[in-house]
Amino acid sequence: MKVRRRAELIRVQLADSESYLLAGLIDDFAAMLEQADAADPAMQRLYPAGYSDDDEASAEFRSLVADDLTTARTGRLQACRAELPDGSGTISLDGEAADRWLRVLNDLRLTLGVRLGVTEEVDLDSADPVANIYHWLSAVQDLLVSQLMA
Amino acid sequence: MSTPTVIPRQRADQQSEQRPEADRPWVTVVWNDPVNLMSYVTHVFMKVFGYPKDKATKLMLDVHQKGRAVVSSGPRERMEGDTATLHGYGLWATIQHDQ
Repeated sequence: MKVRRRAELIRVQLADSESYLLAGLIDDFAAMLEQADAADPAMQRLYPAGYSDDDEASAEFRSLVADDLTTARTGRLQACRAELPDGSGTISLDGEAADRWLRVLNDLRLTLGVRLGVTEEVDLDSADPVANIYHWLSAVQDLLVSQLMA
Repeated sequence: MSTPTVIPRQRADQQSEQRPEADRPWVTVVWNDPVNLMSYVTHVFMKVFGYPKDKATKLMLDVHQKGRAVVSSGPRERMEGDTATLHGYGLWATIQHDQ
């Protein structure tokens, strides 16, 4: 993975294994969204309560916004999935596309973060492959956001 | 994820000396969590609210260090819109009356 900025475009260079990894993560995430299991802690993290102290208002808020959030989320996933090269390759992103990728990477990180039980106090087990994927996604997201802000 | 502190509902006798609830504006609050990157949260505040980088960074640091920050205020419908937008970015946001 290399991230470079040339004028207005951010170029993300992906190795074979990185393209396949992202494709698999995006497909798994899309399946989870489609399943829409309200009891899944990852789904609860992606669709948090709108009010911290009012269940009734939160339920109403959810009924107003959840479908739109899912439609937009799915659209971003599909757009990113379609941009992924089959194997190694380079993606060129303008500001809007970079923002879309940041959001998809964040959705993946939030989901893995819930599965791994990430907290600020405890370091993840470096022998856990899922923890390593989580760290890799974090590094990619951080590179992308720093190039976008540069 | 550090759990947001649930703001207890104020009892009627504690509320009597404050403005009536209906007069107080609404705010959007962002809570700290252990997954969202500091750089990403700053980006989101700049992108969603159009805040300059220094203001966005200060708000992000408030979230990180104090556990929460008020990021916008106004009519309830607009705060619900801001909160939904922030949820679309994966931030942990809620709506409440200004304290």
